[in-house]
Amino acid sequence: MITQEKYRTTVKELLASDSVKMVIGYKPGSTPDRRRPLFIRSSDDADQLVLDSTCITNLSGYLVAEGLLSDEKRVGIFLRPEGIRSINILAAEYQLNMDQIVIFGFDSTGREVRPLEGRHSKDFSALLSDIKENSPQISKEPLLESIERMNEQERFDFWQEEFSRCIKCYACRQACPMCYCRRCIVDSNQPQWVNTSSHTLGNFEWNVVRAFHLSGRCVQCGNCDRACPVNIPLRLINQRMAEMVLEGFDHFAGLSPTQEPVLASFKKDDTETFIL
Amino acid sequence: MSEQQFEPNIIAFVCTYCTYAGADLAGTSRLKYAPNVRIVRLPCTGRISPMFILKALQKGADGVLVSGCHPGDCHFTHGNYHARRRWMVFRSLLEFTGISPERVKYSWISAAEGSKFADLINSVTEDIRKLGPFDQYQQMIKDAQSPATL
Repeated sequence: MITQEKYRTTVKELLASDSVKMVIGYKPGSTPDRRRPLFIRSSDDADQLVLDSTCITNLSGYLVAEGLLSDEKRVGIFLRPEGIRSINILAAEYQLNMDQIVIFGFDSTGREVRPLEGRHSKDFSALLSDIKENSPQISKEPLLESIERMNEQERFDFWQEEFSRCIKCYACRQACPMCYCRRCIVDSNQPQWVNTSSHTLGNFEWNVVRAFHLSGRCVQCGNCDRACPVNIPLRLINQRMAEMVLEGFDHFAGLSPTQEPVLASFKKDDTETFIL
Repeated sequence: MSEQQFEPNIIAFVCTYCTYAGADLAGTSRLKYAPNVRIVRLPCTGRISPMFILKALQKGADGVLVSGCHPGDCHFTHGNYHARRRWMVFRSLLEFTGISPERVKYSWISAAEGSKFADLINSVTEDIRKLGPFDQYQQMIKDAQSPATL
């Protein structure tokens, strides 16, 4: 509550002084434990802002909405550490100018919300490095571990079973801050790379392609997982790929706005064992 | 022969400067190799999107081979380094989703390695033949061709 009040006051001041043109935050949703995005342009609306442990959606995707940042005015946004990593990646991929972003950082343990010090992405670099250092110690999800213990056929069957429910609504793509392509590969039909019918083949291809495009970019904010109407555990694939790039290339996505994207860079001594 | 041997369909994506030239050398040297491979020539391994591999499987390939210049020898100086990273990521992704990594092979073959090309095609064909037809994928292709169930 104290954090929420503190941020309401800050937001009011910033909007009143015109140092930001808009603030993206959370407001109450359809049930007590749901929140929906809030976009405020005037300081009078700041009282609608809600900040508590149920604010879990990563809002950073709204920043790349067409035209929002093109007037070079600043925009404020409420972000958890994952969200800060997302906007670092967006900046590294030249999707936004970090100087236009005012960050209201927060994090929560249990029901307790605490503010994160800083307003600019560079203020959080120490925090993000800590998260990187601690990431190998975080215990894995039991389901991910059990998939890794499966043999090939069992893994294939597991994912076929999961993907068979996919209805190709592309909610995962819409919810993902990293999926900002004007024209997604599934929407291109000359040539048609991915089978668009929601048969297992097309579902499999779609989910593999999305996971590949998110490799080394996903910050595991969980937006796709929560958006999926048929509860496919998409986070597991993305987690696995994040582990892979961390182990293989020591790459932790979103550490800084100048970090090189892992698949757009290379080391001459990248070590593999499978090329004949 | 009472039982016919399984002849796998293998698609090879190769770069034009090294592996394709290597394949050419194998041909002009009159080296014999398995006829199961269909070669698709591309400017560089850096041009080979993982989508190509999925597309080949989608069209019924039993195996895929991707091959280009040795590290350091790329005509475009570092196309193959980019490709290598991409393959490492893509390979572990396929593994995690249950596609056997044995179905998709990668190699470096230079323009001078005509005999390596011939040997590799023979061994890859043998390996894929041992694995048999890619039934898991064929089943998916079949499902995709039948009308959707509501």
